[in-house]
Amino acid sequence: MPKGEVVAGFIAPHPPHLVYGENPEQNEPKSQGGWEQLRWAYEKVRASIAELKPDVLLVHSPHWNTQLGHHFLGVPTLRGKSVDPIFPNLFRYTYELNVDVELAELASEYARELGLVSKLMKNPRFRVDYGTITSLHLARPQWDIPVVGLSANNSPYYLTTEEGFEEMDRLGKATRRAIEDSGRRAVVLCSATMSHRHFQEEPETPEDMSQEHPYSMEMYQWDMRLIKMMREGRMQEVHDLLPEFVEIAFAEFKAGSFTWMCSAMGYPELPGELLGFGNVIGTGNAVFKWDLTKHGLATPVDQWTGERNGSFASAPQPAAVAPSVSGRGLGSSVSGGGVFAGDGPSIGARPLNQ
Amino acid sequence: MTVVAAYIVPANPLPYLRPENPPWAGIASACRALGRSLSAARPDTFLIYSTQWMAVLDELWQMRPSFDDLHVDENWYEYGNLEYQLTCDTELAAACIEGSKAIGISSKGVNYDKFPIDTGTIVANGFLNPGGRIPLTIGANNLYHSFEDTMRLSEMAVGRARDLNRRVAVVGVGGLSGSIFRHEIDIATDGIAYASDDEWNRKMLARIQQGGSVSELAAFAQEYAKEAKADMGFKHFAWILGALGGRISGAQIHAYGATYGSGAAVIEFKV
Repeated sequence: MPKGEVVAGFIAPHPPHLVYGENPEQNEPKSQGGWEQLRWAYEKVRASIAELKPDVLLVHSPHWNTQLGHHFLGVPTLRGKSVDPIFPNLFRYTYELNVDVELAELASEYARELGLVSKLMKNPRFRVDYGTITSLHLARPQWDIPVVGLSANNSPYYLTTEEGFEEMDRLGKATRRAIEDSGRRAVVLCSATMSHRHFQEEPETPEDMSQEHPYSMEMYQWDMRLIKMMREGRMQEVHDLLPEFVEIAFAEFKAGSFTWMCSAMGYPELPGELLGFGNVIGTGNAVFKWDLTKHGLATPVDQWTGERNGSFASAPQPAAVAPSVSGRGLGSSVSGGGVFAGDGPSIGARPLNQ
Repeated sequence: MTVVAAYIVPANPLPYLRPENPPWAGIASACRALGRSLSAARPDTFLIYSTQWMAVLDELWQMRPSFDDLHVDENWYEYGNLEYQLTCDTELAAACIEGSKAIGISSKGVNYDKFPIDTGTIVANGFLNPGGRIPLTIGANNLYHSFEDTMRLSEMAVGRARDLNRRVAVVGVGGLSGSIFRHEIDIATDGIAYASDDEWNRKMLARIQQGGSVSELAAFAQEYAKEAKADMGFKHFAWILGALGGRISGAQIHAYGATYGSGAAVIEFKV
């Protein structure tokens, strides 16, 4: 079997407002649009995925929150109606998705080999969470590419952020190995928002964009600082800063989706392409792309078929330029937090009352 | 008398789904016994707050008149499905929406087909109110609400129930210490994950059993919540304190045990 590859990774945030703004037939509530800059960013995601022609889309969602281990959807077809418990006025979506169970099984097995608790979700009546559905709908509304859905184990909430990220690093490595051994061309989706502080009341017309703006100047500046680093390919600095960013901006990256995605991509020290940024009820949402085929780290689709027909295994592999994981504060021996010494804003965290 | 009964029951579905498992059997049988004894109290409605119905915008109240559905828990799906039937007291819920606003808490109702009723509410309803014969008034756990906010909400809800001449059973649905085992266990050997959690749980239960002023219990509960990483800051206890108000006359602890390492108790308050 030819060796599989992660061909690209996307930050694919999941505010249900974006599906609501698109007015797809699957979603009951109808809107007058809104959040266009983010929705247009997703148009670019869709074009990229069409060009990349992956065999599978993998998505790690903070809204499938599991307490005991890292779970994978493991039923060939899941269908139903997903109503967002937070925004039921915006998201009541009838879905049907096909799961690449073979890949999910393999990734789950490899995760266990790396010492994680991992499970396959095999209950056919399971209701898929809105984070998974939103990211997948916006990335590929045709629903014609099999998916692998991963839960967000709440380890970063019970453990320290660094310990939690270390688990996500291992989960990403297991995912990458499974993709390679399965022979799949895979796209990985980090379904997460950046700064996650938000307004606590909704405008009467949710898509009234005159009401939409960053939660605060500080949150906006934190988002821009991270985005600037990503655009410049300073990914190690991003990982170093992540614990501090998570704490101050209450960033949804705490759930581990971003760390998982970067690990699955092999931590490319590459500039990401910012496809768009926008605020949704004050949260900061960036749509980002790392196309590994453009940097010689994965095989372009026009060369892929030949490789799969026999020559791929012997083809020279481009060397990843990523430094070792332990250098990013993700190693198990690392106990400290981010060590960023920049001069950016500093505001007090306002934790949830829980 | 408006409040005719007050309980805390666990939100974790394991005792409901596997009542035959020895570590969970006591919790399950205690919950079922409470359900049977409720007939004497003759409540018109259950005033329910579950830690697992999480909201971040507004205080949400369930306004759909009835549900007859099946739910699969996102964590414990391998233990089985949760079929449920429940009805809602929408008149009281509507009054609570207005009441929430009146105390300065933004609020709205939800009335949607296939709305994901949370596991905790389903389990509590299944134990205490099988078949859903008594309607529920269900308020969400807004993650940004404090212990005190939650007390104010339940105090308001009892006031609105009084205005409507309802007899209410107040139910706080949630666990005690929140840390679960992070590895797979033989469920027949389940126990509290940490000795310190067990110690704090027992301290908290002793204080509840003893009773006292609401302010003292609230202060201790918040210390306990921090030390034991209690489920959602133990705000389901705030729900009870706000509803009972003034002074707690004590309580009976019908069961205490573990649900995959986290703490769980079945508590009946004296009203």
